[in-house]
Amino acid sequence: MAKRIGLFICWCGSNIGGVVDVPRVVEETKNYPGVAFATDYKYMCSEPGQNLIISKVKEHNLDRVVVASCTPMLHEPTFRKAIARAGLNPYMFDMANIREQCSWVHSNDKEAATQKAIALVKRALAKVSQVEPLFESSIPITKKALVVGAGIAGIQVALDIADSGHEVILLERESTIGGNMVKLDKTFPTMDCSACISTPKMVQAAQHPNITIMTYAELVDVQGYIGNFEITIKQKARYVDHTICTGCGLCTEKCPTKVLSSFELGMGKRKAIYIEFPQAVPNKPVIDPDNCRYLKNGKCGICKKLCPVGAVDFEQKDELIEEKVGAIVIATGYDLIKWEEIYGEYGYGRFKDVITGLQFERLVNASGPTNGLIQRPSDGKEPKTVVFIKCVGSRDEAKAKEYCSRACCMYTAKHAHQVIEKIEGGHAYIFYMDVRTPGKAYDEFYRRTVDEGAQYIRGRVSKIYQSGDKLVVMGADTLLGSAVHIEADLVVLATAMVPTEGSEKIAQLAGVNIDKDGFFIEAHPKLRPVETMTGGVFLAGACQGPKDIPDTVSQASGAAAKVAALLSNEEMATDPMICHIDEKMCSGCLVCKEVCPYKAISEKTITERIAGQPVERMVASVNTGLCQGCGNCTVACRAGAANLKGYTNLQLLSEVDALCR
Amino acid sequence: MMNLTKQIREQAKKLLEEKKVDLVIGFGQGTELARTTPVFIDSPEGVSALTWGPFCANNLAKYLVDYKNAPGNVAIVVKGCDSRSVIRLLDDNQISRDKIVVIGVPCAGQLEWQKVADEVKPDATLKETVDNGDSFVVKTSTGDHTFNKKDYMLHRCLVCENPNPVIADFTIGEELPVKNYAERFAEVEELEQLGLEEKSAYWDKQFSRCLRCYACRNVCSVCTCELCVFDQMKPMWVSKRTNLSENTVFHITRAFHVAGRCVDCGECDRVCPMDIPIRKLNQKIHKDLKDLFDSPTPGSKEGLLSALGEFSLGDPEEFM
Ligand SMILES: Cc1cc2nc3c(=O)[nH]c(=O)nc-3n(C[C@H](O)[C@H](O)[C@H](O)COP(=O)(O)OP(=O)(O)OC[C@H]3O[C@@H](n4cnc5c(N)ncnc54)[C@H](O)[C@@H]3O)c2cc1C
Ligand code: SF4
Ligand code: SF4
Ligand code: SF4
Ligand code: SF4
Ligand code: SF4
Repeated sequence: MAKRIGLFICWCGSNIGGVVDVPRVVEETKNYPGVAFATDYKYMCSEPGQNLIISKVKEHNLDRVVVASCTPMLHEPTFRKAIARAGLNPYMFDMANIREQCSWVHSNDKEAATQKAIALVKRALAKVSQVEPLFESSIPITKKALVVGAGIAGIQVALDIADSGHEVILLERESTIGGNMVKLDKTFPTMDCSACISTPKMVQAAQHPNITIMTYAELVDVQGYIGNFEITIKQKARYVDHTICTGCGLCTEKCPTKVLSSFELGMGKRKAIYIEFPQAVPNKPVIDPDNCRYLKNGKCGICKKLCPVGAVDFEQKDELIEEKVGAIVIATGYDLIKWEEIYGEYGYGRFKDVITGLQFERLVNASGPTNGLIQRPSDGKEPKTVVFIKCVGSRDEAKAKEYCSRACCMYTAKHAHQVIEKIEGGHAYIFYMDVRTPGKAYDEFYRRTVDEGAQYIRGRVSKIYQSGDKLVVMGADTLLGSAVHIEADLVVLATAMVPTEGSEKIAQLAGVNIDKDGFFIEAHPKLRPVETMTGGVFLAGACQGPKDIPDTVSQASGAAAKVAALLSNEEMATDPMICHIDEKMCSGCLVCKEVCPYKAISEKTITERIAGQPVERMVASVNTGLCQGCGNCTVACRAGAANLKGYTNLQLLSEVDALCR
Repeated sequence: MMNLTKQIREQAKKLLEEKKVDLVIGFGQGTELARTTPVFIDSPEGVSALTWGPFCANNLAKYLVDYKNAPGNVAIVVKGCDSRSVIRLLDDNQISRDKIVVIGVPCAGQLEWQKVADEVKPDATLKETVDNGDSFVVKTSTGDHTFNKKDYMLHRCLVCENPNPVIADFTIGEELPVKNYAERFAEVEELEQLGLEEKSAYWDKQFSRCLRCYACRNVCSVCTCELCVFDQMKPMWVSKRTNLSENTVFHITRAFHVAGRCVDCGECDRVCPMDIPIRKLNQKIHKDLKDLFDSPTPGSKEGLLSALGEFSLGDPEEFM
């Protein structure tokens, strides 16, 4: 049957019509083979415009449609729906972009813009001549989410998803949830106590009927696809049976082994059987197998003897747990850059009194190793002169990271304020490159710190050296153009935030990409900031890029909204524009399988009749749930057996031919 | 070389007698002195047709594909370069390992038959060939001839990386050392020196002669598609017309289809009736892959992914 194409060309008011000679485009394309009806209209996307399309489809018995207007990003769905209302398959459609690609970019050359519009319309006509109806199918959805990482981002995501009525597994590799925020003392700009606002959320998560917290556990495998992930979690052996442990703490009190605490960033001690901090969730201990005397050489076992409920179990083993979820949120947060390996000018970590901002947080924290008294690590004295150095590892293309870590300007102002407030006769000097305080009430906070007497020195520090019990900080004041020497008691480095260790592995498991610095890449930096290019996998918090708590929490709620929307459906429609493999053309070389980023291709055996004999051979097979229609395989397949529906080789070649004619 | 021929025959005979294989694919003496022809032997009595020497240029590996659905196993005689094709066919899932038996023969080099034919009397018959290290002595009914390898060998043999088969169930004779008689990419480098216009003129001259007989594709062990794009009608990737423009598209397309998989066996070059230096296109890609990614020659190891057939999250995407 002959094709009956309807061609509708839009003026977009004067947006297109002011540059492109629309009537001429109609004139020059209406006789293209297959065009049964062609017209132009002021606003195709408007209600009357859409009704025009619908009535003409019916009136002229059109079987496919081309609209020449703006970018398909904007109105392809609009027009697809319109022709569906007219009774056509919505994929019997193509668009020519004569606005962004013609009138807007060639506004000073009307003739060229018109010529290009004609060519692009012919291209669309060539394509639409080859299209075939496509049908969405549907896949069921597992109404449960996995959140990887239980910092404030992960906790917020879990709470919001759980509140919308869906089950959540909140996975954390440490023995407690909370992440970096629980280590902080006060939070800028309001200076409310970090623990006071974050621990209630931790408890809320623990008590929420829809949330299952799994601490001391890691993600080891992800299979499947949006709506239907099959995940494997490794529950590391805790050597304490949490189902019976009451958290009385007798064991931790009596354990004879003391080691440096990573929670206190090496400034305090903990036992071999330990709870990270008093408000930990769950508030039950784990045994650190690298340091426990019993696990190392079979001697001791005091905790086991003392435990009144017999919860200590040295025989416990790592356990693999399989779960099914419909969505995954990555919220693995950040670490601080290993500055000791990079910055010789600050002593490569040799000077005990050169510490990071996070260590400073522990020093001012009432529940920290010094009970909130600012005492320097070397001799426990209260420092009078404290020097802060900003952008250590951030904005340093030569030695470390190019990006800005975003929270440091503000927390350094916070720390300087704390020095002035808490230390009698305390002085705070801050070496900086710029002060960046874009945030609600942020600049006000910084100004107040300056007014209190914090001395901001614009310039870099070239060297720190020990002189007696002082640290001599040598720097430059680039505003005054002079050298600066400060004899400091304590130096605090605002070190760069980097993706947490192991992010790469999570990226690989979940099939998402990371950028050159290792942060997870969002689907679109502006318009899809919490989604990834992999369906069903979302991002929240500092794992996507450095950010402070307000931004982290907003992004977390955003991600939760996306997950809740996904899980609120029983089934989801799959995009029909995915790979199709022509089995008779497939030679089974499986190059397509190697290049598929979504692991959507596997092999299967088919039976063919060759010379009257049944012959079994292997061909490629696409999992329609996993395929995202990226088209990698279609390029890799030399014979063209792999084809992208909606963008078939035949369609693309017809378009090229039309453009070259 | 007579000794090697004898050993190949014995091995083939044993395999056929013991019913380990139903067929042996090997080299047999051709009608001309300096040429061999593929032989397909299905009985122990037939093994006397097998031969070996410096005139076994053909790469027989592609024939394995024809027998992939046949009942029984197939043995094949391969040189070092041919053995890379066998690995490539295995990696492309075109043959299965348990259906084939590889008889590997360390290869001392193959002579260009035309050069030899030019110097030997047309009615001469071959008595024996002897490998003397850097030359071959060809003994014929009308006298003996010595051919220096440097001057008479195929280019691919002058730069051979694998005189010893990289895959073999049985190896015939002693392993041989790798000898380089020429720089592997010297000819490509020479072409690279040309200006754009000159390069274009060079290739126009070559491609315009192409008959589109597809001998190059048919012999190629990495051209194993069920339906080659050049034989498809819908879509018509390349028109069937034979002219410079269509021929150019044919050659460039094929070069990219074999890119990262071409085992540099040189067969396309050798079989072309128009003497089009097709292998130079492939070699340019080999050279670039070596320079940019340190890629080994495809087929030289099992399980190598082809440069255009791999997806890695660690790819720096510098061009984006
Ligand atoms: C010194 C300092 C002071 C700061 N002060 C402030 C402030 O005053 N106000 C403010 O707004 N912001 C402040 N910030 C920023 C704040 O810390 C972050 O915005 C916030 O902690 C980010 O939260 P998150 O949940 O994204 O990451 P994180 O807190 O890093 O949480 C990530 C969690 O994921 C877990 N995890 C990681 N990988 C895995 C894995 N593979 N499997 C399972 N679990 C995993 C981690 O163990 C961790 O619990 C400060 C930052 C620093 C460095
Ligand atoms: S690349 Fe093409 S021929 Fe090879 S397995 Fe995939 S679909 Fe089949
Ligand atoms: S289009 Fe091909 S490569 Fe891309 S996801 Fe689908 S099957 Fe994989
Ligand atoms: S392209 Fe030529 S050299 Fe390469 S494998 Fe094929 S026939 Fe051999
Ligand atoms: S030329 Fe390309 S399509 Fe044709 S057989 Fe070779 S690889 Fe396959
Ligand atoms: S063998 Fe030679 S003539 Fe024949 S198609 Fe190939 S390049 Fe052309």
